[in-house]
Amino acid sequence: MLKPMSVVRQAIADDGAGDGMAERVAAGQAGDRVKVGRKVLPIVEGVVLVAALLAPLVLQDYLTVFATRVIILALFALSFDLVWGYAGIMSFGQALFFGSAGYGVALLARDLDITNILLVLPAGTLIGLTFALLLGGFLLLGRHPSSVIFVSLGTLTGSYAADRLARGWYYLGGQNGIPSIAPMTLGGYEFTEGPAFYYLVLGILVAVYLLCRFLVRSQFGLALAGLRENEQRIAFFGYKAQHLKAIIFTIGGGVAGLAGSLYAFHEGFVWPNMVGVVVSTQVVLYVLFGGSGTLIGAVIGAVIVEGVSFWLSDNYRDVWPIILGLLLLLVILFRPLGLISFVLGERERVGSFGAKAKEKRHAP
Amino acid sequence: MANAFVAAFEILSFGAIIVLIVLGLGIIASMMGIFNFAQGEFVLLGAYVTYLAYAKGLPIWAGMVAAPFLVGGLGFVLEALIIRRFYAAPIVAMLGTYALGLIIRESVRGLIGGFYLTVPEPIGGSIDIGAMHISAWRFTIIVITLLVMGGCYLLLSRTSFGLRVRATLENPSLARASGISTPLIYGATFAFGAALAGLAGALIVPVFSLFADLGLRFLIQGFVAVMVGGVGSFIGPVAGAGVIGTLSAALPWVMAPVVADVLVFVLAIVFIKFRPQGLIAGKGV
Repeated sequence: MLKPMSVVRQAIADDGAGDGMAERVAAGQAGDRVKVGRKVLPIVEGVVLVAALLAPLVLQDYLTVFATRVIILALFALSFDLVWGYAGIMSFGQALFFGSAGYGVALLARDLDITNILLVLPAGTLIGLTFALLLGGFLLLGRHPSSVIFVSLGTLTGSYAADRLARGWYYLGGQNGIPSIAPMTLGGYEFTEGPAFYYLVLGILVAVYLLCRFLVRSQFGLALAGLRENEQRIAFFGYKAQHLKAIIFTIGGGVAGLAGSLYAFHEGFVWPNMVGVVVSTQVVLYVLFGGSGTLIGAVIGAVIVEGVSFWLSDNYRDVWPIILGLLLLLVILFRPLGLISFVLGERERVGSFGAKAKEKRHAP
Repeated sequence: MANAFVAAFEILSFGAIIVLIVLGLGIIASMMGIFNFAQGEFVLLGAYVTYLAYAKGLPIWAGMVAAPFLVGGLGFVLEALIIRRFYAAPIVAMLGTYALGLIIRESVRGLIGGFYLTVPEPIGGSIDIGAMHISAWRFTIIVITLLVMGGCYLLLSRTSFGLRVRATLENPSLARASGISTPLIYGATFAFGAALAGLAGALIVPVFSLFADLGLRFLIQGFVAVMVGGVGSFIGPVAGAGVIGTLSAALPWVMAPVVADVLVFVLAIVFIKFRPQGLIAGKGV
């Protein structure tokens, strides 16, 4: 299925905007160190990591708990960035995988008394993976390639339907969700809110981040970026574009499921919003704000949106959503690559989006 | 027999509401190729204008007549200022209009709070046919929906404006070359779609009350209806809305409401998957 790297590299380089990636991959993998401007990305990643490691030392206890939640949401944002930022699949219902995994582990804890971290986290991941495989397989595969609009509305509808189901199903707690989930355990140790939980999720985030980083810089990721830029051309080279999309969609669902199960245990309860449209669009906000297609942008976006929300919610609770909408509109209009594009050149992003899109549709 | 008749009427009136809401959404999606996520908020604004008129002591009718013009005007301004920049990429348009909808919705929420504000029906009471009673206002909604549908059809198929709109839809660059001001046509089409949403909001506010998530409630249903009906024609979205509206009103009579709700969406998505062009394919009115 995979073609020689040089062919793909050439294909994307032809698109002009994407050539930074090709050279970057050349520099990184083929060993011939081509100098492509300054490399800001590793510096950004390093700064974020150091800040995250030091955070519990300087933050008060209640802020550490908040920071833990933000890290979990950053992990969730990462899952959306994989499918949207890299493969160009608008998964408007990403919360479906996040929330269903949350509900899944909550049921494990409630009905089967299973709280062992070595069981519940893989279980949550598997739930997200399975749901994404089923939904992604249905939406993306088939004789006719699905339109982007269809996939986005399909995922949105899936998330909406799950929300309605969770609200109406007595077994899942209905409107109130499932309260007081027992804490995660490892042997006799219980993970309750605090620094230990914080470093646990930070460790998981770093591990998943590195895996994703490896994935998107592999040839698989390169082909994904290629089909995001020009699907027909990548298909022409013999890639099964729909299959690649379904694979990354499934992986994204797994990461979202992992985040969802961590969230359920951290908050101690799950409720219908977690699978619904609200959380689905929240994750879109994170990634758009931070900058899609950079991985670290998703993390930064989650931290900024949640951090500013937290900061403003005391004094400007009513006005904040309006400000959020205005900022989002400004970002979409003037900074489609997100806030990270202030420090990061487009050449460092794997591929690029938006630049070529202008030609695709008629402008009046 | 009487019960069945009342049930059928309920289903029909709900279907009419969905058609009314989807009409504007479908026109914008078909003519301009963008899925307007702010459409629900245009419905909300129409409802809000009507409520304001009522709260200020004006006749409710005045608010209902003003709503489409005010919302349409706002639509025209927004198209010129913001929406126009999104035509290049449909997905960016989705996100941009979503942001716009968020701003409008949260602003209205700030103004009305989390309350359900009620507006009385301008035509109260019921129409009695023998032993059966049907709501006069819901009956009025069905009549107005039919009139609006007929009006839209005539506007798009019989007037020179409609001809220009269809020409722009078929081939924008050829239309431009023929001297049609396509930016104006896009602006007018968007404003028209917004006005229809405003009208829908004005008409349904006595039935559903006014609350900030009023538009959101119908948005996904609207999108699904447009996709089921088929983008690219005037008839398609109307047909889709008829099917979706009827199904979502009829199924709860025979099964649990939650199951019915989910089933409608699942059926719709499966249908679109295997017939992407929708019920009625094609371009033109």
